[in-house]
Amino acid sequence: MISCIEIALKQELLDAEASSLKKKADSYFGIKIMSARCVHIVTIDADLDGAGLDRVKDEILTNPVTQISSLLPLDIAFDWCVWIGFRPGVKDNAGATAMEAISDVLGKRFGKDEGIYTSKRYCLKGETLTREKIETLAVELLSNPIIQQFKIFSIKEWNKKIGADVKPAKVILDHTPCCSTICIDSDEMLSQISDQRNLALNPRDIPVIRAYFLDPKVLKERREVGLSVPTDVELEYISQARSDHCNHNTFNGIFQYTDAFTNERVVENSLFKTYIQRPTLALKEEKDWVVSVLWDNAGVGKFDDDNNYVITGETHNSPSNMEAYGGAITGIVGVYRDPMGTGLGAKLFMGSFGFCVGEVGYDGPLNPPLHPRRLLDGVIEGVKDGGNKSGVPTTFGQTLFDPGYMGKSLVFVTALGIMPALIAGKPSHKKTTSPGELIIMSGGRVGKDGIHGVTASSESYSENTPAGHVQIGDPYTQKKMHDFLLICRDEGLTTFITDNGGGGLSSSVGESAMLSNGCEVWLDRVPLKYEGLDMWEIWISESQERMTIAVKPENLDRFMELSREHAVESTVIGKYTDTGKLHIKYKDETCAYVDMDLLEKGFPSWEFDAVWLPPETRGLTEPVISTPADFNRLLLEMLARPNICSKEWILRQYDHEVQGGSVIKPLVGVNHNIPSDASVTRPVLTSQKGLAFSQSLLPWYSKIDAYHMMACTIDEAVRRLICVGGSFDHIGGVDNFCWPNIGFDEKKNPDGKFKAAQLVRACRALKDTCMAYKIPLLSGKDSMYVDGHLEGQFGERVKVSALPTVQFSATSVLDDISKCVTMDPKVAGDLVYVMGTTQNELGASEYYDLFDKTGKNVPEVDFDACKILYKVLEKAIDKELIASSHAVARGGIGVHLCLMAMAGQLGMEIDLSCLPLANAFRGKGGLSDDILLFSESAGRFIVTISPDNKNVFEKLCKGLPVACVGSVTDAHTCLKIDGRDKKSIVNLSCDVLDKAFNKTFGDHI
Amino acid sequence: MKKVKALILTGFGLNCDTETALAFDLAGAQSHRVHINSLIAGKEKLADYHILALGGGFSWGDDHGAGVIQALKLKNHIGQDLLSFVNEGKLVIGICNGFQALVNLGLLPGLGADYTRRSVSITFNDCGNFRDQWVHLAGNADSPCVFSKGIDLADYPVRHGEGKVIADPKVIAQLIANNQVVFRYADSKGLPAKGAFPLNPNGSMSDIAGICDPTGRIFGLMPHPEGYNHFTNHPDWTRQKEQLKRRGETLDTGMTIGVRLFKNGVDYIRDTFLNQL
Repeated sequence: MISCIEIALKQELLDAEASSLKKKADSYFGIKIMSARCVHIVTIDADLDGAGLDRVKDEILTNPVTQISSLLPLDIAFDWCVWIGFRPGVKDNAGATAMEAISDVLGKRFGKDEGIYTSKRYCLKGETLTREKIETLAVELLSNPIIQQFKIFSIKEWNKKIGADVKPAKVILDHTPCCSTICIDSDEMLSQISDQRNLALNPRDIPVIRAYFLDPKVLKERREVGLSVPTDVELEYISQARSDHCNHNTFNGIFQYTDAFTNERVVENSLFKTYIQRPTLALKEEKDWVVSVLWDNAGVGKFDDDNNYVITGETHNSPSNMEAYGGAITGIVGVYRDPMGTGLGAKLFMGSFGFCVGEVGYDGPLNPPLHPRRLLDGVIEGVKDGGNKSGVPTTFGQTLFDPGYMGKSLVFVTALGIMPALIAGKPSHKKTTSPGELIIMSGGRVGKDGIHGVTASSESYSENTPAGHVQIGDPYTQKKMHDFLLICRDEGLTTFITDNGGGGLSSSVGESAMLSNGCEVWLDRVPLKYEGLDMWEIWISESQERMTIAVKPENLDRFMELSREHAVESTVIGKYTDTGKLHIKYKDETCAYVDMDLLEKGFPSWEFDAVWLPPETRGLTEPVISTPADFNRLLLEMLARPNICSKEWILRQYDHEVQGGSVIKPLVGVNHNIPSDASVTRPVLTSQKGLAFSQSLLPWYSKIDAYHMMACTIDEAVRRLICVGGSFDHIGGVDNFCWPNIGFDEKKNPDGKFKAAQLVRACRALKDTCMAYKIPLLSGKDSMYVDGHLEGQFGERVKVSALPTVQFSATSVLDDISKCVTMDPKVAGDLVYVMGTTQNELGASEYYDLFDKTGKNVPEVDFDACKILYKVLEKAIDKELIASSHAVARGGIGVHLCLMAMAGQLGMEIDLSCLPLANAFRGKGGLSDDILLFSESAGRFIVTISPDNKNVFEKLCKGLPVACVGSVTDAHTCLKIDGRDKKSIVNLSCDVLDKAFNKTFGDHI
Repeated sequence: MKKVKALILTGFGLNCDTETALAFDLAGAQSHRVHINSLIAGKEKLADYHILALGGGFSWGDDHGAGVIQALKLKNHIGQDLLSFVNEGKLVIGICNGFQALVNLGLLPGLGADYTRRSVSITFNDCGNFRDQWVHLAGNADSPCVFSKGIDLADYPVRHGEGKVIADPKVIAQLIANNQVVFRYADSKGLPAKGAFPLNPNGSMSDIAGICDPTGRIFGLMPHPEGYNHFTNHPDWTRQKEQLKRRGETLDTGMTIGVRLFKNGVDYIRDTFLNQL
């Protein structure tokens, strides 16, 4: 029987959800809604009697103080009503918890055909509303056709008895699961099948695959288990494992690198091995705090004698571009499984985000799948629900805007965990599987969702990209699993754990079985969301919130007991063996039987041509802009630019202090509204130690040279750590590359060779910088296809590529958190110093961007000079000489003085003529005021110190490019700057600065 | 000396249990994190404890109203145990999600000693979004609340999307008259926020941030005292430290006002309850 319960807030109460809809309808589309109310609908497709339904309605679903409800449509006035519901198969988290509550209250067991589904309808009134406008709201704001459906009713069309006539969004596949074989008579045929089935097999892999299955020895062995030609399960397995997402074919590829100017030719055999693996392994030897790198789901560093921390970063770009909320929540909840699956499992203690999107105000001719404004709203909300409901603080994050991200926006998510160094006396970062151990899948169930996610993210977005891989993460289910698995870990019940992410069981079981050298999997035992999945779908489904765990048979009972107690579903789905075979069965039939080492059987490396065109050969020159006359107005304009201005509203939505270890928050200053250089967290609440964390993104420099983009990005992340009190001797890094397609194609990707060269150069800088600063790369990932083919106004499609982007995350362990420093000037009378030289480096700066110019003088990092300076600042902070310190970043000294003044709400008087300059500029009239204010030279800090510390500090800095440039005052609350010829060029009060800084997104909460 | 035992609920999406347990330990209690299902299965008994803490988090994902399903589950399985616990004169504290659960259970506000009626609701913030910010709270010196004794002004963080306390104006008037309103959102001097955002972060009626039952032994609040378990939790500590240093003083790195709230509860049990045993 199907019943609908409608629930709404009492009419006299403010409906915050509907109010937000009103506000957005007006500001985004100019659609005026006079009044809006939201009605929640719970559709029950289950055998419940009238009394039962009443109890569900009254005891579970209705709050007597605030809500009204009815088993008939609520009589709420409207001119137009929009109903929004999920499409069948989309994860309905609220539906699932309603079932849990009903089972508990009524003691009801739900049959497999029964279910509960949630949906909403909005009752809108407004004289100017039309069907067309309502449709705009339904399509552009309230629903996404990929996961939702909608219906619109005018008041005339409304039937008071049947209301929105909601049907259960039940999945009915009506399909008998099967396993089919695939003809491999020729390369062409397999290639064709690969296209049809979305296998995304690389053409060069196809002969290798065929050769394996046609090998007489292989054929003979297969015949014994009833197989001949490959099955779909087997080919899907190979497709997953060989995808760029899982196998990192690009970073392991061969690059023929040519410098078109010097004609230098180099063959790069593996960017990963040369620029990531080798330096990191060398540094691991040097740094005893590096515990485990380069093999597990996340890297492991030492926190203290008893605990290790775990870190990794991911992107979730492709799904977020189609369904922003679902993509982002799945992304953050997904990356949180990585620390859970590192070593024997870590407890999550913090996360961070990075959003790169198109211009939110875009009104040009291109039509991206989601408008950047909507996309940003969605990803913010996704990370909010995913992070907050996981009980993990989001302590840091950045949002930036560039037109290139309209092709594909980027959603970076980073996760950190902590685990005891020893579990039952053994190192927690080690794990393996052994023959005889059981393969257990815990957490969520398997459905069609997420199928071919890995292969889809290894392609550019086009109109043919299957939408089926968009999912909605379920942090509730995962949090239960997280708590459960930590207890199992501590009881010593698990010997191996990994997460089910890209590739699902295919990857998690496939990879973990390499350790024992074989497995037997019983696919028919895998719990499903609904019947009718084919074997290959069960094997590669990316349904979320699942971990794969190895448990010894003698520990199974206890493991299952704890699983039940924590209300987590766990199922034995196979066993590890040492047969050398991946053996997959469904009931008694074998549907895959391949050698564990199949993937090492001579698959060819990918090859790329890389041609570097130095900036001068691309016609890049410095723009001709004379020194401005009105620096006051200019600075205010800079502060209001989207890439500089306040994004407080995003950070406030994220719980950044749950778990109680917050030391330095993402927002600092008197008014708690200026972004901090880095966050500091106590992962172990009883310890004096803290973990500092920062990130940087400076993709714009790639316009000139991706080498310097990479170097500057790392340098900035390091400076941010140092200035809160981080230690230069312990800096861990995570590199997240997001690159446009580098595969040359005359028609489809004519600049592929240049983009490939940019990648090579970025990797070279990665190594150079990490070796100079001694940063082992604890983890890293790449997402190689950040391009989009956007629909234009004449039916054409235009390719838009994102800037080559790297998000660099950095960690440091602080011995004594009580010495941490924030960036707000704190006491009037303090002296302001600038550390580090300012150069004529406005290339690709925020300042040039204001004039729509690129320029040529990209900032370059002088590693040797920086290192000395950073150690000095570290020492000064350790000696508690520094009252405030801040890394100069995007926007240069001018912008960052403003941020400090606003943070301290104190006056600052600055003399630009005192800035330390590079030798080249000294005595020759120096640099002009615009360069001094807006150059983005790397390696610089602004610090304030007590006058009492002047001598000690200056002695410490002797011989270094460090100079006193002014003072902090409470005589006024203005930022006053004198230019190089000692005349006042800036005089702005904190109030005025605040207004400019907050106006761009001012009404966002 | 006999230890004051505090039970902190865990499981089903609750997430502030570790720092709540720490806060109780720092306050001198012996804390135990116990899964809701352990209580239900009888593996752990509520009667063995003196203080029950329902902490922050997103129990059951906060679907169908924050704290609603948690309240149902507790009522359905250990409702009687809870009432006996309360009747024995023991303490219950609900923080954030726990506060939401307490009002849905009816343990708060407990008007007329009715511990089952839902007369207060905690609903969506007026600002329409989840917010993490620090608030100033003015304590009510006349409140019978055990936990807030001697706390006239406190800074704690709020971290919620549903923190707006609402009720029939008559109920609110009664709560005020009975001094059951324990904490109100205020400015830095302790003057009422008068609904002004963001001093009052959610639009709570009469700036209510926390209430107790008429006995003062059941207490719920939206802000997180356990979020202020260490001096470095406060958003202004680096500035205060530097400013004090210039005056030749040092920052108080001892017990925070967050932990003091828990200590009030622990001391109450030790002074009045354990002595009766």
